[in-house]
Amino acid sequence: MFCVKLLNTLTEKWYLMGSMAKHMVEVRNLTKKYDDKVAVNGISFEVNKGEIFGILGPNGAGKTTTLEMIETIRDIDGGTITVDGVDVAKHPQEVKYIIGVQPQSPAFMDKVKLTEHLEQLASAYGSRVNAKQLLDEVGLTEKANAYVENLSGGQKQRFSIVASLVHQPQVFFMDEPTTGLDPQARRNLWDLIRETRDKGVTILLTTHYLEEAEMLCDRVAIMDNGNIIALDTPKNLIKQLLARGFKKTQHVEQANLEDVFIDLTGKELRD
Amino acid sequence: MQSIKKAFLPVFIFARTGMRRSFRDKTALFFVFLFPLIFLFIFGGIFSKTGGVTFKVALVNQSNSDFSRQFVKQLESNKVFKVDAAAGSLDQAKEKMSRGQLDAAIVLPSDFGVPKGQAYPRGQAKVYYTQNSQSAAQTLTSVLDAVFVGVNGKFVKVDTPFTVTSEQLNTRSLKPFDYTFSGLLGFSIIGLGIFGPVNVFPELKKQGVLRRLHTTPLKVWQYFIANILTQAGVGIISILLQFIVAMTVFHLHLAGNIFELALFIVLGIVTIFGVGMAIGGWAKDVNQAAPLSNIVVFPMIFLSGTFFPRYLMPTWLQKVSNFLPLTPVIDGVRLIATEGKHLTALGPQLGLMLAWTIVIYFIAFRVFRWE
Repeated sequence: MFCVKLLNTLTEKWYLMGSMAKHMVEVRNLTKKYDDKVAVNGISFEVNKGEIFGILGPNGAGKTTTLEMIETIRDIDGGTITVDGVDVAKHPQEVKYIIGVQPQSPAFMDKVKLTEHLEQLASAYGSRVNAKQLLDEVGLTEKANAYVENLSGGQKQRFSIVASLVHQPQVFFMDEPTTGLDPQARRNLWDLIRETRDKGVTILLTTHYLEEAEMLCDRVAIMDNGNIIALDTPKNLIKQLLARGFKKTQHVEQANLEDVFIDLTGKELRD
Repeated sequence: MQSIKKAFLPVFIFARTGMRRSFRDKTALFFVFLFPLIFLFIFGGIFSKTGGVTFKVALVNQSNSDFSRQFVKQLESNKVFKVDAAAGSLDQAKEKMSRGQLDAAIVLPSDFGVPKGQAYPRGQAKVYYTQNSQSAAQTLTSVLDAVFVGVNGKFVKVDTPFTVTSEQLNTRSLKPFDYTFSGLLGFSIIGLGIFGPVNVFPELKKQGVLRRLHTTPLKVWQYFIANILTQAGVGIISILLQFIVAMTVFHLHLAGNIFELALFIVLGIVTIFGVGMAIGGWAKDVNQAAPLSNIVVFPMIFLSGTFFPRYLMPTWLQKVSNFLPLTPVIDGVRLIATEGKHLTALGPQLGLMLAWTIVIYFIAFRVFRWE
């Protein structure tokens, strides 16, 4: 009797840990309606373990809504989502331990020190952290006792990432992470995102910047009007476009304006 | 045990951070700590003048007699009369009376205290008053009457078969300030418990702070308890400050036990904080929260007897206001602070507070929104 119970608990744990899951995120026929408007129209896609997956699309395409449903903070009207094998609608509390979420805006209380923010967020997961060490890793050692409102834009973004990864999640959601950053801060953030991926964290992000998606993402999904209209690696998508007979006026540029900007102002991060 | 510890870790950390934050935020410091003290000084200044009834009068002496001079001196030393030295003539007195600065004018005519060929001086004092100071003038006249009875007795021996004396029974009675202070405490509890969360939570939603927390496993009850602890901690410090000022500056007389009062106030904050949590937790933004909190708070302040005694209300209104959540809190504070009752005697108040706490928090949990 006890053995059966133990076995059940183990399989349940096994199931919850989801180590068997093939994909980190699996979305099946996902639907979301606001009154009469269909925001997400029965989309399906998978995010592989260890990849950087981008969702592109114009404003109102349904990117953020999709992300929020995967993040457990918006009700699912139809379809299923599993994160590392765990059903989001059925076990949202378990999913919250696996995922890390970086909101569009930094979203931190004022008059709270960086170390206190990290301790507070870690406690929400029932754990304690070495806040100083985490800040070291993103070059914010000297700001340990500062408030978030006194950080620069780039520092805020880096801090936001550390804060979202405080519980060592397996998958990390970022909603437009580089919006409003200067080129240096943006490049720095790309490096940080790649480093995070290299530590084994799967990353799902949305962005408006196409060159960012091209440089950063392993695969991208392009959304429009609640539908996914294309999904592949950036390279393949370009290849397919060319195969359809697309021609751009040929003039090979050796550099663009951003290269000029970075050459003149340097790659070094400005805070 | 381990899991309980784990469940209360965020409660403790969030409460600690909240407390620290309250002391760093200058606006919060002003509203939580200084604002109630300003109220205290205003109301204390109005209500702390005690020691019985006094009349502000002008004393116009038109007589040159020795008796009148001595009579003036005596009146000036009498505590019941506050003689305004600036109003020397009847015209000046009239002007001040019309502005409500004086209750009455006492005029001693030129023949006041002149013997007029008899063995002892005689005369008639005249009290002038306005429509607004009728009752003051009547009391004043009878006080003067009593003074003259005493004076007359010295000149003419009169037999007095019937007399009346008065004796004070309790050594200390309720001063107006003692009563007002309990109301001010109630007002602070409302400020901390309702206006705090009603402003803070919509703001946190606007900044997306609650949205971020929503993506963590943090549960609503953990967040609620952490906030209650913060608010109760801040509240106790704020109320302690008010007590220190009230006792040292305005000589507050606290009839009951201060620890029982502190415990009761904490319970009061918990109850009332539920109202703030329900409104602030439900509202999407400040525009939704502000009108609703005003609709709830202002009638409650007056109907629950914060500043005006409830026995002044019509009976049916008293019956209704009996059951408002703030009423047992105000009543309880008053019973402990001014009547010296113990917590054990506050069964009805504590029971009603418990009932409200359950109802309010049930609603607050149901309507809470992270964004």
